[in-house]
Amino acid sequence: MKASFSQSLIGPLAATVLAALVVALTTDRFIDAGNLRNLALQVSIVALVGIGSTLVIVAGGIDLSPGSAIALLTMVFAGLVKFGGVDLWLGLIATLLLGAVLGALNGILTAYLRIPAFITTLAGLSAFRGIAFMFNNGSPVFDVSPLLEQLFYGSVFGLPLPLLYVVAFFAAAYWLMRWTRLGRSIYAVGGNPRAAHLSGINVKRTQLLAFVLAGLMAAIGAVLMAARLNSGSPNYGAGLELQAIAAAVIGGASLAGGRGNVLATLLGALTITIVQNGLNLNAVPTSLQNVIIGLIILLAVGIDMWRKEIGSMLHLFAVPAGRGAAQPSNSREERTHP
Amino acid sequence: MSAKGEIVWELRNIRKAYPGVVANDDVSIQLRSGEIHGLLGENGSGKSTLIKILSGAHQPDAGMILRHDQPVRLPSPLRARGLGIATVFQEFSLIPGLSVAENIYLGRWSRRGGSIDWAAMREGARHVLGRLDIDIDPDLLVGDLPVARQQLVEIAKAMALDASMLILDEPTAALGPAEILHLHALLRRLKDSGCTILYVSHRLDEVTALVDVATILRNGRVVSTAQETRIQIEPIVARIVGEEVKEHYPKEHNATPEAVLEAEQLRTDQGVIDASFVLHRGEVLGLGGVLGCGRTKIAHALFGIDPMTGGRLRIRGREVRFAAPSDAIRAGIVLLTEDRKAEGLFANFDGTRNITIANLKGLLRGFRLDLAAEAQISRDLIGRLHISPAAEQNSVELLSGGNQQKVIIARWLNCGADVFILDEPTQGIDIGAKIAIYRLINELTRAGKAVIFISSDDEELLAMSDRVALVRRGRITRILPASGVSKTDLLQSADAMLREVAA
Repeated sequence: MKASFSQSLIGPLAATVLAALVVALTTDRFIDAGNLRNLALQVSIVALVGIGSTLVIVAGGIDLSPGSAIALLTMVFAGLVKFGGVDLWLGLIATLLLGAVLGALNGILTAYLRIPAFITTLAGLSAFRGIAFMFNNGSPVFDVSPLLEQLFYGSVFGLPLPLLYVVAFFAAAYWLMRWTRLGRSIYAVGGNPRAAHLSGINVKRTQLLAFVLAGLMAAIGAVLMAARLNSGSPNYGAGLELQAIAAAVIGGASLAGGRGNVLATLLGALTITIVQNGLNLNAVPTSLQNVIIGLIILLAVGIDMWRKEIGSMLHLFAVPAGRGAAQPSNSREERTHP
Repeated sequence: MSAKGEIVWELRNIRKAYPGVVANDDVSIQLRSGEIHGLLGENGSGKSTLIKILSGAHQPDAGMILRHDQPVRLPSPLRARGLGIATVFQEFSLIPGLSVAENIYLGRWSRRGGSIDWAAMREGARHVLGRLDIDIDPDLLVGDLPVARQQLVEIAKAMALDASMLILDEPTAALGPAEILHLHALLRRLKDSGCTILYVSHRLDEVTALVDVATILRNGRVVSTAQETRIQIEPIVARIVGEEVKEHYPKEHNATPEAVLEAEQLRTDQGVIDASFVLHRGEVLGLGGVLGCGRTKIAHALFGIDPMTGGRLRIRGREVRFAAPSDAIRAGIVLLTEDRKAEGLFANFDGTRNITIANLKGLLRGFRLDLAAEAQISRDLIGRLHISPAAEQNSVELLSGGNQQKVIIARWLNCGADVFILDEPTQGIDIGAKIAIYRLINELTRAGKAVIFISSDDEELLAMSDRVALVRRGRITRILPASGVSKTDLLQSADAMLREVAA
């Protein structure tokens, strides 16, 4: 597992590099300080929300709700600060707490009341945004606080803050998944919930905690979203859940649960963002962009699904490369006999 | 249908090899109309491969398949089906959300115009079920039927296409004694109507009363085809397990009088009724009885899977009550589950993580798992249990059955348990790995652990246990020293149970 842990990054990394190369070859505006800075800002929200999606997916679930949760959370955050007169930092903490509560709601319904995660979070997808529209007559809350913008546009030692958030949260998530009991339990529960229960793991609590962390990451995304536009809006975050899931899946997380790597999710988010950036720079219309993103998702998951065949093809040509060959999978014919 | 006793299908010198193992070697079988042909052998003896070849799912590397003396090829299950071979595999092919009639006619629903002719289909299903004397309402959802009845539907589905040969792969694996009798009665009727039945099993007790002829496989080869209407058990047992059987059981006696686990009138809603026993330090207590008699349910009660609804459980004199397996593990009781794939292994983990998963607490340094210590612990256990070194860093999916089983045993050793419940620990693993498991049992008892041993292999159960508790319908009827129980006792007790149910 130690070896495959870094090996599982090779495929997503190759995809990211390939995307960057293609974009850099098609336009000279890609490798440009301003554009790259813009890219870092763009990728940060999807990537951070993608951490939560990855955790839930690895635990064997799915989370369709973070986009709508973000809409609700930006409204609550902006409303508290602008109309409630709440201190920005206090409002921020309240937003994070509320995010965790929304996640806990998903988690309780899924783990303890045994409603499938897809349904639970589909309900959340609908309901959270609905609640967001109940505030301020459904209108956005603008000009929240000049300090708020600094959370997104500020920089330390010349590095944009969102980049630092990404580094910090991905380091923390990587640590969680690799070095903590909870992280290991999340993999175990996603891999084989029955065996996990029989190995003494509290399966329900583990699933719940994965959802709580996902809710927390959605709240982080909400804070950044609000800071970026210095506002809250019930229209924010639409479709973000799908981008976050796509990032996780392009990064190799298995929707069957038990497999996935948060660092690969970062690469997945980067790939999507770079492609979008490249398409924008080449003035490709949004409609076609969406089609292309769809194809990339298909290709990424397809490669994952076909890695058995691809792997044996690679073995045939004796080229030990690519995700297909690198990951231990059924593709290996040799069985170890006692 | 063919005249009775005529050879309908014949396999000649069939050979099939997989990477690293020859599953069938020079296998020849003749299947006649109007007979029930038993295909017997231990797990891994090549039975499954043979029926996969006969049902068109796999192709032989060498040899011939003949139908009425004409060589035929069975390139696909569809072709085999078209030639009248119907196979009921262990895993059913039924769709739970559809009715019995819809399942029987799956894929060939009768139509009138552009829509399905429900009336004709229901009528047809009723006819098929009636012909087989199966009393099931064709309108019921298959998912609502108990497993035994689903099996009957599966057979009805197979026979609905006028199959001339029915292959049944371990058909009684999920059935209780009464249901086994019912199934056997149905098979006898099919046989009387001229159908050929190939009955695959590794259980002798109920087969002996049913089959007309038996072919016995061992290590992929035919050991014997006995043309007897009534088969004597003992020679078959000897042929199945081989002559060298005695050396396979390196039993050590390490039992002490010190009680470790005391169960008093244990009861669960899942079918354990007033089970009482005392387990001693260093002892192997075998649970004997037929399949479905409640042995696994007793294990589930002891491990906290099924909540106790009555009785008392004491471990080292201290009364305990388990809400979940985690409580049992903490109290020092562990369970090696019967279904190691579904209930034991994490296919997404390497051997190392599979070994440590039940005791992550032991790896904690503050909030951090000590991965170096983890690697060391696993390496030690992998060495100690002679697990393939490949287990350390490779997915357990890539390991052989025996190595997988040992990985799970290593997991429980790493928990420092006192009581090991082993539910069918040697199922589906080869003989070398079996002996390794027996040695491990010795090692456990030598170290003062106590073992509860469940096995459908009566010979193994008697050889490796110190005492045997006979379980019948969730009750422990008697506890005897293993040396005082003969295999015939177990069979007779099983037989008595079958008769009792039949009466």
